[in-house]
Amino acid sequence: MSNLEPFNPRGMLHDGWTSQVDDFAIACGWAKKGNIFLVGGSAGGLYAFNGSNGKSLWNKESSHQEGLLALDINPEGDNFATSGQDGAVRFWNSENGNELNFIDLGKGWVEHLCWSPDGKYLAIAFSRIVYVYSSTGKEIWKSEQHPSTVSALAWAKENELATACYGQVCFYDITKNKVNQKLEWRGSLVSMVISSNGDIVACGSQDNSVHFWRRSTGHDAEMTGYPGKPSNIAFDHTGKLLATGGSERVTVWSFEGNGPEGTIPGELGHHTEAVSSLSFANKSKLIASGSRDGSVVVSFLQNNGDGNPVGAAFSGNSISALAWKPDDCAIAAVNSKGGVNIWNFKVRTES
Amino acid sequence: MNESKKVPVTILTGFLGSGKTTLLNRILSEEHGKRIAVIENEYGEVGIDQGLVINADEEVFEMSNGCICCTVRGDLIRVLGNLMKRRDKFDYVLVETTGLADPGPVAQTFFMDEEISSEFTLDGIVTLVDAAHIDQQLGRSDESSEQVAFADVLVLNKTDLVSEDSLKNLESRLRDMNRMTRIIRAEQAKVPIETVLNLSAFDLDQVLKRRPSFLEPEYPFEWTGVYNLEAGRYELILEDGPDPEMSLVAFKDQGTSEEDLKEGAESCVRYYAESPLEIFNGDHVPFSKHVNLNLKDKGPKSFILDLDQSCNVGLFTQHTAEEFDIKLLSVNEKNKGELVTTEKERIWVAEHEHDDEVGSIAIERIGDVDPEKLNTWMGRLLAEKGVDIFRTKGFISYAGNPKRIVFQGVHMLFTAQPDKEWGNEPRRNQLVFIGRNLDEEQMQKDFDKCLI
Repeated sequence: MSNLEPFNPRGMLHDGWTSQVDDFAIACGWAKKGNIFLVGGSAGGLYAFNGSNGKSLWNKESSHQEGLLALDINPEGDNFATSGQDGAVRFWNSENGNELNFIDLGKGWVEHLCWSPDGKYLAIAFSRIVYVYSSTGKEIWKSEQHPSTVSALAWAKENELATACYGQVCFYDITKNKVNQKLEWRGSLVSMVISSNGDIVACGSQDNSVHFWRRSTGHDAEMTGYPGKPSNIAFDHTGKLLATGGSERVTVWSFEGNGPEGTIPGELGHHTEAVSSLSFANKSKLIASGSRDGSVVVSFLQNNGDGNPVGAAFSGNSISALAWKPDDCAIAAVNSKGGVNIWNFKVRTES
Repeated sequence: MNESKKVPVTILTGFLGSGKTTLLNRILSEEHGKRIAVIENEYGEVGIDQGLVINADEEVFEMSNGCICCTVRGDLIRVLGNLMKRRDKFDYVLVETTGLADPGPVAQTFFMDEEISSEFTLDGIVTLVDAAHIDQQLGRSDESSEQVAFADVLVLNKTDLVSEDSLKNLESRLRDMNRMTRIIRAEQAKVPIETVLNLSAFDLDQVLKRRPSFLEPEYPFEWTGVYNLEAGRYELILEDGPDPEMSLVAFKDQGTSEEDLKEGAESCVRYYAESPLEIFNGDHVPFSKHVNLNLKDKGPKSFILDLDQSCNVGLFTQHTAEEFDIKLLSVNEKNKGELVTTEKERIWVAEHEHDDEVGSIAIERIGDVDPEKLNTWMGRLLAEKGVDIFRTKGFISYAGNPKRIVFQGVHMLFTAQPDKEWGNEPRRNQLVFIGRNLDEEQMQKDFDKCLI
């Protein structure tokens, strides 16, 4: 339970709709250009809502035996994928919840899923092995065994997939089946993001630091001094601002000029407990941060990483995922008690 | 989150074949009202039809800073991180490690990772030991001695395959290595569940409450018998035993309370420090004098005690009475040949040869310490020797602080917090270090420098 006093949406956040799912909501996202909102629960429940009014469209009780671990929505299609502790990946139709494909990878956890930006490929992390499947469920590529369990996936380009695990980030060309680049560093990498131009890869590390590499120059740097581990990190759409969690503050590094090395990061201190989710708006320098205290704050960032809050809202329990609607006119939050909140965001649109 | 709401985690270690899987199945099948999630190593084979059994590769993650206390188990962080979202399904976690696992990173995971420590609490480390094979294993691998060193509970399993004598020897060897641990004997891993679960061994409040005498001084004698005797002559009879000689000190007016016994023990230490007077079969035993009984002759040997007035006589012997079947007979007119029984018996933890690399060091001192000096010393000690110090427990009296400071640590990780008020209790300090190749004398000296 949150220790915060409940409060009504403030600033540019306004009541949208709310709903409730049966257990800890671990993932959420928008499908069909924002017409459908999807939520995945830890026990394996899947829930689809009408994106504008919250009306329930369909739900599934148990998509994965023993529980759901990942849910990712195809950015270009009508389908989405889920995976779980049963060693399986399932493809679903967003509109009606029909199961389209099923992949059984064997005994083990399938912990991470990641669609390529064009929606053609789904990357799948199964323990130490990474697979790439087509959106129709055909195996395209399979990695060698990684030195340890794969902890994060990200696409650098259409055909180039990055994997992170203890000690390394590796870039694979999945159509030519070759390693493009291997960046080694002795540390447990727990999260990974890549800038929009594919040049900067940043990882949160177990030892309370953020490590990043510039691929073009091979130069790397380590940002230390976080009170906790930065499990949540996010790049804005320009690839110039890197927002990081790891405490109750959001720390924003700016890659403008010669930064962020030697610069002072922006610090957004609006939460009372650790940041548990971060999401940049699709087309602007707006960062939404969710916290274990149940609050969500939207901040407007300047190029140097500093920022000011423009809206805040309260969901009651620890925020587990945030998702901006594709048109950035609403932000969704799901929490540890299954609460679903959609707040409308009044943004000035450039004409 | 409230401490009591955190999910307790028990770590089960032990070499292959020590009976971990048997114990695990026993715990799972018993009616204890707990919903237990089990994290098994990749070779685990829990046979019970149990809902939440998760297999995990043991992934030890060292950090780039090279600090051993930052080393954690990545698989546990992942698995527990996901499990905590399913709190409805379990209220207890058991982690089984392979025989080759180093318990350090497992334990450190519960202190070093904030996400894990906010939801889970390390309840205790239970190490299974195969009574028949541990002697060889201890000599051969570091892991097995580390698993003994880390244990809050040592389950000495398969005791049915080993003689009572070797069990005793084994127990004393294990206790030398880890003096904080509780040793439980078992056949086929049959142990009461409450002796392995819900130990709160890492809860500072519990550290000392549970076993207030975990720290027993090591005396050069093993046994004390107190006899209530009238004036007259008595014969002390010893049968053939393990040694051809034995040290003894006899006291008049020995009390029988624990306090009196300890006082007697302490004065006895002083006499033991003096060279003994050798006496032979049939000789008189002088009081308040260190004597060495010559027991080379075969058959019963007897020594004479003369009392001019009735009093309590305390005998402090190097070995236990059992080993020599010690008897005291009255040879007075009135009740000639009558066996006199002890008013009180006390067995002391004996001093043993410390031949294992892994051992316990205990420091016990009366008085207050200077917090600054102690911190400097502990900081330096843990920085230099943290790799070799597995566990630390104890309490300290800080000058000027009305409360006792209790602490515990794993490698370099160290937590201290104020406990109850001292009140009228005499101020004192007790520290136990379990580790490898520790220099006891130097540590005692260094600690003494912290005293005020």
